[in-house]
Amino acid sequence: MRGLMKTASWVRTAVLAATICVAMPTKAQEKTGSKEGFTLKPGTVRIVLMRPVIDVGAQSTGGMFEPNADWTTQAREYLTEALGEAQLKLGNVVVEYSDQATDDGPLVTQYSHLFSAVADSVIEYQFFPGNRLPTKKHSKSFDWGMGNGLSRLKSLDGADYALFITTHDEYGSTGRKVLQIFGALGGVAVTSGVHVGHAGLVDLKTGELVWLNADRQMGGDVRTPEGAHKRVTQLLEGFPGKPGDVAVAGN
Amino acid sequence: MSRTAFAALALLAVVSSPCLANSLVGAGPQSGIAKSRMSATTAGEWNKLSLREGKNVEVWTLDGDALNKVTFFGGVPAGAPLLRERDKKNRPLPTVAANMLVTDIPTLLETTYRSQFAVNQMTIDTQVPALLDGHNGIRFTYSFTKADDEVRRKGEAVGAMINGQLYLVSYEAPVIYFFDKDIEKFRALAASIKL
Repeated sequence: MRGLMKTASWVRTAVLAATICVAMPTKAQEKTGSKEGFTLKPGTVRIVLMRPVIDVGAQSTGGMFEPNADWTTQAREYLTEALGEAQLKLGNVVVEYSDQATDDGPLVTQYSHLFSAVADSVIEYQFFPGNRLPTKKHSKSFDWGMGNGLSRLKSLDGADYALFITTHDEYGSTGRKVLQIFGALGGVAVTSGVHVGHAGLVDLKTGELVWLNADRQMGGDVRTPEGAHKRVTQLLEGFPGKPGDVAVAGN
Repeated sequence: MSRTAFAALALLAVVSSPCLANSLVGAGPQSGIAKSRMSATTAGEWNKLSLREGKNVEVWTLDGDALNKVTFFGGVPAGAPLLRERDKKNRPLPTVAANMLVTDIPTLLETTYRSQFAVNQMTIDTQVPALLDGHNGIRFTYSFTKADDEVRRKGEAVGAMINGQLYLVSYEAPVIYFFDKDIEKFRALAASIKL
């Protein structure tokens, strides 16, 4: 009997340990961060809204991304419309990016892709505290950036900040959904669908990422006008300087 | 086994499990890198990721593996691929051969990347003879773009074949800002490697 109790205790300890391990990253995930001490007053700066990076497709049964041009075109139209409405309510002058007859276009596109990589690294190594990089644990600061190369681009002359937006959506195929159901029956967690969104504000003088809203499980079906509106609202929640919202400093 | 011992073991399992396993590499001598005889001396701090890309592989970074990534391949034996194969049937990886020349190393890396990471653009840019702790080897630079994030990256690596096994250390980072930011730290690290 005593041996049985001892075994039960071991099992409890092991289960507790496993639970802590499994539950910790998801439970503690943060979704927004900003440079320590960063604030933005309404009506003080000029922000350029960079061309959003938008990818929409299906998730195959095996979990692979299969791009869908029609969905991407729809999402681009609806998200652009929603962003157009939202940019008027951000508290500062927000203008859409234009090449302005420079040859900055290809480099700016690379910066947009780099922003996505930086934002994803922030999710992976900052927003999941249990996965935080030890060298970044020394201080509580939010220390991320892309270098000051943007300050040399003529097409961004006169602007103070750049607002980068990324959305990447994979809608689970029928096969994936069936796999998810069978997985659940067998006790195996299979996710269906990926909905990543990043919105980040970059200081054009320093290249520092001063504010980021990012999540891998965003809401809103970007293939519909209502869903795209919901997604944009979520992306710009807590935007610095936006009337009614207060930026959270130092995560 | 006592209850306390088991509880300690369970706690150890939690602490050492992948969910919490990114660890600090402090300044100073480091041994047993990539579970091999490879050692090095670091001038500053790095992060060792829990990410396991292969049996003889260890990954260090400063800001995340998408932004700056040092990969140590510690004595990959003949017949083994550089990385763990994700889809052996449809996308098999090339393997190390005991009689490989050092000039075959860049090709091995390129072929591996094209298969493993859906790299649609990759070029080996320069190749020069180099020493890895006194062993004849090769230093090469390369550039590539992965289909999944479309970020242009550059890489630099030093490798050698020693007793039929491949020892290689590489550094990869986005062309914009990150590559130049940390390349000298990598070169100092690679120059300190002992085998």
